[in-house]
Amino acid sequence: MKYEEALHQLETIVSKMEQGQYDIDELAEQLKNAQKLIKLCRDKLTKADSEIKKILQKEE
Amino acid sequence: MPTMHSLTLFELNSLVRQVIDSTLTGEYWVEAELAEVRESRGHCYMELVQKEEHTNTPIARAQAKCWRSSWALIQPHFEHVTGQPLHAGMKVMLKVHAQFHEAFGFSWIVTDIDPTFTLGDLARRRQEIIRQLKEEGVFDLQRELQLPLFCLRIAVISSEGAAGYGDFCQQLAESGFAFSTQLFPAVMQGEQVEQSIIEALNSIYSATGTALTSEDTEPTAPFDCVVIIRGGGATADMSGFDTLALAENVAQFPLPIITGIGHDRDECVLDMVSHQRVKTPTAAAALLVDHAQQVLLRIDHAEQRIAFLAQQQLATLSTRLLALQGRIPALVSLARTRHEARIAQLQQRLAGAATRQTDKGQSQIDLLSAHLAPLTARILEKQRHQLEMLQQRATSLDPSLLLKRGYSITTLNGKTVRKATALKPGDEIVTTFEKGNVKSIVK
Repeated sequence: MKYEEALHQLETIVSKMEQGQYDIDELAEQLKNAQKLIKLCRDKLTKADSEIKKILQKEE
Repeated sequence: MPTMHSLTLFELNSLVRQVIDSTLTGEYWVEAELAEVRESRGHCYMELVQKEEHTNTPIARAQAKCWRSSWALIQPHFEHVTGQPLHAGMKVMLKVHAQFHEAFGFSWIVTDIDPTFTLGDLARRRQEIIRQLKEEGVFDLQRELQLPLFCLRIAVISSEGAAGYGDFCQQLAESGFAFSTQLFPAVMQGEQVEQSIIEALNSIYSATGTALTSEDTEPTAPFDCVVIIRGGGATADMSGFDTLALAENVAQFPLPIITGIGHDRDECVLDMVSHQRVKTPTAAAALLVDHAQQVLLRIDHAEQRIAFLAQQQLATLSTRLLALQGRIPALVSLARTRHEARIAQLQQRLAGAATRQTDKGQSQIDLLSAHLAPLTARILEKQRHQLEMLQQRATSLDPSLLLKRGYSITTLNGKTVRKATALKPGDEIVTTFEKGNVKSIVK
């Protein structure tokens, strides 16, 4: 999954949750999903950052 | 028939001679046009003529002679000043005295010729040609042309084998530039100059014309310019270069024409209408070499400038690149921070929303559970009350109480007998009292 797509899904979950659109049964499941998406986004961000740093170091 | 005294021709001519010798004693300056000039054994024989203005009809004609002794002095001076020898059609001012010879007839003996008069007349004629060229609008045409940048293919009009042509070619060859020349031979002296040069120009033009029509796309003429040169040497006849027809041909020629026809006096018409004029063939070569060198310099300069500008641009771009490169790490970390903040915010919102949702559930449960106890109590109370009521009612219906009050209950086969008619004789009935039972038989 692409970073933006993951972020978009995450935002959807958060706004639905804020509007109280999930019932209690769904809540935990969606929270679990949200945490997965957060981890995905973070990982991608970290990976991109370290790659960029590597590239910049090479150029120097 | 009376005897007439007649004279011999000699006697008559002697009379004429005497008259002329006695009356025309002095010398005269006379203006006339030369109808014919020829030299013989060092003497110069001329036919003088005066034509009526506009009609050109001769109105006076005479022989003139210049003896060798005078001619030897007059000729070099005249040719030096005018730049040309005596020739037919030339206007001259002659110092003459009359001579009549019984055997040879009348002739004017020339003792001097004023070259400045002829010069003035030539100048007037040149002016006339110039006026006509200007009227035709062709006088400046050549000067409006430009030598091509790469002016290397030269059509040369010159007399074959002339020293000037050799010098010209040698100088071009020694320049190191890739000049190529093609000679279009022409007579460069005397009366045939006009015709001969025009023919040469026509040959060059037709070579150019063929090239222009044979190529479909970019037409390339075989020549970049024309050079008309004449080997220097002593002052020679320049009159051929001062004709209207030649000037018209040169002026309207599509390629630039450079003249180097070597003469010291005032420029001739050919020089005036040509693209550029120089004095000698070597000067013409020098001009072409100089032009090529100028172009080479321009190219060198342009090359240097291109190199300089390219380096400058590269330096500018490199600086910009460095500046951009320098901004990248900050931008990357900024982007990362922003994304992290966004994720953190989402996470926070998530936690908040989830907690709120569970809290809401919790409070609903709390609310419900709070309601549950009183409700059950109420239900229990109601049941208990109902039970009590039922108990009361049950109590009030207890048959033992009736038995206590003295009532008894009669049963038949275990069933309460409420009507006497329900019994028939012989039935065994049981009567129950407060204390004990009695069995009886109905009668």
